[in-house]
Amino acid sequence: MSALLASGAHMGHSTSLLNPNFIPYAYGSRAGITIIDLEHTIPLLRRAAALVRDVVARDGTILFVGTRGDLRPVVRKAAERVGGQGYHVGEKWLPGTLTNRVQFFGPDVTRAERVVPDLVIFLNPIPNMHAIRECAIEHVPTIGIVDSNVDPRVVMYPIPANDEGTRTAELIAGVLSVAGREGLALKEEQAQNRARSRERMARRRSLHGS
Amino acid sequence: MLRALRQPMRAALKRRGYATASTPFVPPASLQSVDQLPPRRRIPEKTKPESPTFYTGRSDFYDQVTQLEVAIAHTRRALTTLELLPLPAFARASLPPAQSVWRSRDDMSGLFARTLTTSRYRRILVLLQELEEYARIAHTAGHDELGEGVSSVLEVFERKDKAAVLARGKRKPVQFDRFGRSYTVGRRKESTAQVWMIPVQQPKATPKPSVAPTMGAYSLEPVLEDPLAPAPSSRPAGTITTTTILVNNRPLNEYFPSPADRERIVRPLKLAGALGAFNVFVIVRGGGTTGQSGAVAHGIAKGVVAHVPEVEVILRKAKVTRRDPRMVERKKTGQPKARKRYTWVKR
Repeated sequence: MSALLASGAHMGHSTSLLNPNFIPYAYGSRAGITIIDLEHTIPLLRRAAALVRDVVARDGTILFVGTRGDLRPVVRKAAERVGGQGYHVGEKWLPGTLTNRVQFFGPDVTRAERVVPDLVIFLNPIPNMHAIRECAIEHVPTIGIVDSNVDPRVVMYPIPANDEGTRTAELIAGVLSVAGREGLALKEEQAQNRARSRERMARRRSLHGS
Repeated sequence: MLRALRQPMRAALKRRGYATASTPFVPPASLQSVDQLPPRRRIPEKTKPESPTFYTGRSDFYDQVTQLEVAIAHTRRALTTLELLPLPAFARASLPPAQSVWRSRDDMSGLFARTLTTSRYRRILVLLQELEEYARIAHTAGHDELGEGVSSVLEVFERKDKAAVLARGKRKPVQFDRFGRSYTVGRRKESTAQVWMIPVQQPKATPKPSVAPTMGAYSLEPVLEDPLAPAPSSRPAGTITTTTILVNNRPLNEYFPSPADRERIVRPLKLAGALGAFNVFVIVRGGGTTGQSGAVAHGIAKGVVAHVPEVEVILRKAKVTRRDPRMVERKKTGQPKARKRYTWVKR
């Protein structure tokens, strides 16, 4: 909580721009700015982290989208933490990347690779409405940092926080990517357990057979 | 006739794809042997995309940009640890100038899958210039390993003929042949002189004669055996070298009878203190005596600089290394000569 406050996650946008659907997540207003209630943010952030962990543990691909200049290194590092299952888009999202993927990536790549990601995380959803719409069309679950001027229903798992500052985005992306790293460790553990149980079964079968 | 038509219709009606109340569905005979079915294709498992920038649409470009940004971040951290960043203004001004020759846009597109657009090319250049500056700072501060590491990253993006491009506009260094001869060309007015110079072989110095017996304990014995004899010097007597200057296969005094011309030719050697040091062979063509002597002097000056680079400053100050640009001015129309005008008439 204190880290979120320190990074300025509670600062919303101007009160006149408040989206009525955001009111449940707003604490109030001060100096003409909507203050976001961090008591709501934290459980939602935890839920999103758990989702990321489970998706990664089941061999799912995560895509981090942060299309501002200062968000570029943030999404890059976050994708790095998730290893081979993390991807990032630091520049403009080209409309049609998911819905027109055969044109973008070619039919061979679309047939051979998993082009549609399993989870998309938006650090600044407002300029990326095309991407959010494409994810909805392709039935991809989305997590997003929603500010007070955005309808939180655009993404499946909203995280109400300030989308303007770099520190908030770094903090939230860090939390989610660390959860992704934990998911990788879980996957490794599960694979090892499965291998061990297979060995045990094989040994038992050979014992019974002999 | 109608019966023939009716037979196919009856056959078609008999072949039903569904069961009715009275008759069960009988599948067509072709499916009764299931072996003839094609084997069910196992859908191959899809792989994950390899590059983390797959969804940008240009992963080759953004991968390269990512690598450069990571290199910049690492170098910046290393230089900050070494307290070389942020650099104060006076230190930044003392850095050597940037001597970078980057590949052209088309050339650099070869490093990527698709042709680079100008904006993307400029973006790469900005990143390369920042990295190049860090490399310069590291080299100037004496951290050569760090500088070399950064330079190796930058090498991929530099033109292959970088050395040639940087050397453009500079005088080519004079090459010596297998005998140690220099070949230079001197010019003045309409004359050209081809000058070959070879240093004279210095005879081996004879061992120095012992000057005085070793002074063990302090004694009142005289140090010199014969105080009135000339003091022995390190230069062995009688080995003053004579050199030859051949111009168009003739000795200098035969080709240039005028002492002024000879003086002009020998001046570079005198200034460098190399009068007896070089044998000179010259082929000179074109122009007259002054032009030819000036050309030979120019060629000799360049040759001396090639053999003894230390005297370059002296010769440059004396303006003998400079190709004298004065040429015969052309005659103009309406005038008898280049500058002379016809007598001015008032009416």
